[in-house]
Amino acid sequence: MTKNSDGSVTSAFPMPAIHRRDLLALGAGGLLAASGVGSARAQTKPAPPPPAKPTGQVVVGLSQEPTAFNPLMPGIEVDETVWMQIFNTLWVADPQGNLIPDLAVEIPSEANGGISEGGLAWKVKLRDGVTWHDGTPFTAEDVKYTLELIVAPGFKSRTRVGHALVKDIKVTGPREISWRMEKAYAPYLALLSNTYIVPKHILEKAADPNTAPFNGAPVGTGPFKWGTRTPGDNIQLVANEKFHGKGPYLERAVLKYVPDRTALYAQFRTGQVDLIIGTGIPANFYAEAVKLPGRKVVKIPSASLEILMPNLEHPVLKEKAVRQALYASINKQAIIDIIYYGLHIPTESFAPQESWAYNPNLPKQTYDLALANKILDDAGWKRSGSGTRMKNGVPLEFAVSTTTGAALREQCQQLMMQDWAQVGVKMTINNMPAAVIWGEFYTRSKFDSLIVGTAFRTVIDPDPAHRFGSDAIPAKSGAGANQMQWQNAEADKLMKAGQETFDQAKRKEIYFKLQELVREELPILPIYQYAPVEGYKEGLIGYEPNVNARQNTWNMGSWYWAR
Amino acid sequence: MSLEPTLDALPIRAEGFWNGRGMRRFRRHKLAVFGAVTIILMTLACVIGPWLLPYSDTFIDIRQRFAPPFAGSHVLGTDPLGRDVLARLLMAGRISLAVGFCAMVLAMGIGIAVGVAAGFYEGVIGAALMRFVDAMLCFPTIFLLLAISALIQPSVPSIVMLIAMTSWMEVARVVEAQIRSLRTREFAQAAVAMGSSNMRIMVRELLPNAIAPIVVAATLNVAHAILAESYISFLGYGIQPPTPSWGNMLENAQSYLTSAPWLAIIPGAAITLAVTSFNFVGDGLRDALDPRMDLP
Amino acid sequence: MSGFLLQRLMQAILLLFIVSMIGFAILHLAPGGPMSQFAEGGDMTQADLDRIAEQLGLNRPLPVQYAEWLWRMLSGDWGRSYRDQQPVLHIIAGHLGPTLELMVSSTLLAMLIGAWIGIIGAVKRYSLFDSIATIGTMIALSIPTFWFGLVVIYVFSVGLGWLPSGNRFTIGDGSFLNRLHHLVGPCIVLALVSTAVWSRYMRSSMLDVINQDFVRTARAKGVPERRILMTHVLRNALLPMITITGLHVPSLLSGALVTETVFTWPGMGRLFLDSISYRDYPVVMGILMFTAVMVLLGSLLADLLYGVADPRIARSGR
Repeated sequence: MTKNSDGSVTSAFPMPAIHRRDLLALGAGGLLAASGVGSARAQTKPAPPPPAKPTGQVVVGLSQEPTAFNPLMPGIEVDETVWMQIFNTLWVADPQGNLIPDLAVEIPSEANGGISEGGLAWKVKLRDGVTWHDGTPFTAEDVKYTLELIVAPGFKSRTRVGHALVKDIKVTGPREISWRMEKAYAPYLALLSNTYIVPKHILEKAADPNTAPFNGAPVGTGPFKWGTRTPGDNIQLVANEKFHGKGPYLERAVLKYVPDRTALYAQFRTGQVDLIIGTGIPANFYAEAVKLPGRKVVKIPSASLEILMPNLEHPVLKEKAVRQALYASINKQAIIDIIYYGLHIPTESFAPQESWAYNPNLPKQTYDLALANKILDDAGWKRSGSGTRMKNGVPLEFAVSTTTGAALREQCQQLMMQDWAQVGVKMTINNMPAAVIWGEFYTRSKFDSLIVGTAFRTVIDPDPAHRFGSDAIPAKSGAGANQMQWQNAEADKLMKAGQETFDQAKRKEIYFKLQELVREELPILPIYQYAPVEGYKEGLIGYEPNVNARQNTWNMGSWYWAR
Repeated sequence: MSLEPTLDALPIRAEGFWNGRGMRRFRRHKLAVFGAVTIILMTLACVIGPWLLPYSDTFIDIRQRFAPPFAGSHVLGTDPLGRDVLARLLMAGRISLAVGFCAMVLAMGIGIAVGVAAGFYEGVIGAALMRFVDAMLCFPTIFLLLAISALIQPSVPSIVMLIAMTSWMEVARVVEAQIRSLRTREFAQAAVAMGSSNMRIMVRELLPNAIAPIVVAATLNVAHAILAESYISFLGYGIQPPTPSWGNMLENAQSYLTSAPWLAIIPGAAITLAVTSFNFVGDGLRDALDPRMDLP
Repeated sequence: MSGFLLQRLMQAILLLFIVSMIGFAILHLAPGGPMSQFAEGGDMTQADLDRIAEQLGLNRPLPVQYAEWLWRMLSGDWGRSYRDQQPVLHIIAGHLGPTLELMVSSTLLAMLIGAWIGIIGAVKRYSLFDSIATIGTMIALSIPTFWFGLVVIYVFSVGLGWLPSGNRFTIGDGSFLNRLHHLVGPCIVLALVSTAVWSRYMRSSMLDVINQDFVRTARAKGVPERRILMTHVLRNALLPMITITGLHVPSLLSGALVTETVFTWPGMGRLFLDSISYRDYPVVMGILMFTAVMVLLGSLLADLLYGVADPRIARSGR
């Protein structure tokens, strides 16, 4: 945790400074939190054995509604709660970041011959004895169909990143498939861990896979089968007793949608929902929630980062010194400890701290208004009569935008505004509804700066090329997701090298360097890495937070109730 | 909730010969006076109040967050950033009352223009205008507010426009009905005979004679606009921080309902008081200006 | 009669047409779009976003999109949701039940209480009860519904623990009593305004009748006051009240949206709010058209019943 010495700062800038005493009072949640991390698995007693046949039900509370059920079509994170139960991928990532075979029998690598010719030829052996929910056996044809459907013209697939490089897909046996890649692309392994395999025998019969009945009543190979859906309220899944893996031990799983996070928490408190996952328990209820009897409440790791994203084509923000001064005058500690009740983890990197590629040696940001003033003075920004700095007739002024109605972010903005005003920076707030802000305003880089929660990796692979590459600027090339419009030749070189090698030690070195570069250049101003709060009823066994899964229902097949 | 036009203009019909019409008038008069006095007091408090307070509405003192009311130097407590709720309430009042007033002026402008034109030009123009009015009234107000709020960037002027765009129709109907009946009257016919221009007849002859219902509608419209602002804020499309408004003070109140209920109760009470007062005044005016008047 | 109906029908179709144009224009001219929900997370690239937008037909000129939408609508196809690919009518039907449940139950409650307050207020005009009722109804008309909902939750759910704080029923229960228990809070909140409206109309309607000749005649004949009230006044006063129910539809729909939001009630209002925030154009258009039809039906019903209740009313004017 970033420590700032309070004394001197307090006297100079009385308002936002935090006294240690207050920190103790207010940060109590944070302390509890620290002890709470990972306690999900630290069961005091050895867990009782799972039931012989699926019994009981679990009600999972979600603050967004899953609505997309074809796992290859556009969806948001919450839709994965359903996909994970109905479908399987070739392999999944465990909490430590290891890939575990699921529909495949082993992870292809250069060592086992699955990947050869420097990453251009791939071969995957598939598991035997897997059946679709309707009883049809699962074969390599399904995998081939899935990979081809993703790039089929006219099919509304969610993403073709990586898949577009695949060609010459060959079924070399009922349980074996091979293909070639147009170029070596290491992140494809990670992408496949998020590519759900769909049944050929059902979808190929549909006139148009975009509107197939399958999309409203999916059939997969996963631990749970599609049950019923009450739109706007809940989805019920039932146990697939023929599941090829561990479990399922629950007879039924209900995914309950409660549109408001406060209301969702209230229902968790009263026991109407057994778990809250995803967006989780609101920060302001954390301290209260950990004291709830019969409930386990845990801070879970998440790969998402909260950042201030500057537009590097903005006349003021394009200057590195300005970004450094702004960064030095963000009171991260106040933001995290007070606005977010000590939940989140300050970070300097674009990579999540759980990743093998995370560089822990980056310089720590400190809240230092004197330093910020000095940087701006040195860079030639002079204070004008109104208190706002000027340089060559340009005032040091910009807007920070975020989604309307995000109350805690709004509090953050107002705190930043007050801090930055003290170093002669005039910040305005320009918030918009989600559908507007994340539209062209964001994707075509029409903003000054944004507060956004996002990730800079490819599924679980550390490769951030689509976020940082100079060929990935949507406003310029119509591709990628480099909305801050960062262009840096050295970064480009590093990211290209990182994609081409499968050697983790070499890649680690590359991404360490990239993180140093990003920390120095500040194309993004990292504020914190998310540590949302999830909670579950005591007696639920098997729940295990996984930073490498999109949702913590990733292993719901092996959940059960202690009796 | 009086967001819907059908509710804003309640016909109060009952007239009796044995009644205490005087009584009724007197009582309505009392309520109207109460409303007017409350409005004046609230306005004064919002205009002058912030200067008398030791705290500014934007002064963040994070160590003092969530101070309950009547406990310390913050009379009405503090909000999640430690800002003084009373200071914010008064500053928010300025904004909310101003939004209410401006939205009313704009809505009346549009409504009167459309109503006069539709009432005066019978035939195609009038019918087309009134069908447009009818079509706009087919949208339940909140649905329309939400749909239009997608169009705009939330700021004080755009919220004013948004509210006006969803509340001018009833005014147009009232004015159209008045003008249509007035234009057949002798004085209007005389003006036509004298060769006055259409514009002159509309503005000089007809409009002044329709002023009573317009004044009543205007008063009720302010009440409507203040309410509408709070609804938009509650649904997440309201005026943006750091500018406070009564509506956006309530925006996140739901999540602090258990821990800091005053954050929800105080601004809500202010809205209710203001809206009730305007409604009392509107009701009283309706009686005073034209007891027979029967709004649709 | 049939001529009147035909005329109203033609008018309604014209209005729906204008409504659809206004709605379509508002939605599609707004900045942002359905792709926004996918962009924030950062794992979809611009190429993917653009491709999907094109596949959804969002890049075509607006008049073309409108014409196509209208053409499909006329042939009974309301389109499919961008979010879950389901037919729009199917989705609306799925959310209609909870909303109707709320609207009907609160209207019934409001009729009962509102009529009672109105009758007493009219009979004992200018009494203390009447004064309190007059002031109370005005306040009820001025309270923001959502705020009243929050207060109800604070008092009855958080404070007293008598009522659930939201939802339509407990998952796994869903018995009639359980549903009723969940309905109480939102029903009271939504009924507040209607009650005020009903009592005000009822009072004035009663006063209208009380002063009519036949009532005075009856009174002069010495018919007991109570019987006058029950047989003559009440019946005649209630008839025009029916029309209010029809005219009250838009207000109920708006109120339902807000109430559903506060009480996490899975109805049409919630659906509209969600669909608008995701820019799910087909669903939003579908709901706008659907509510417009409900509003028009309500006012037609009001007109018809008004004619039935009082045949002297000429069917001109409106």
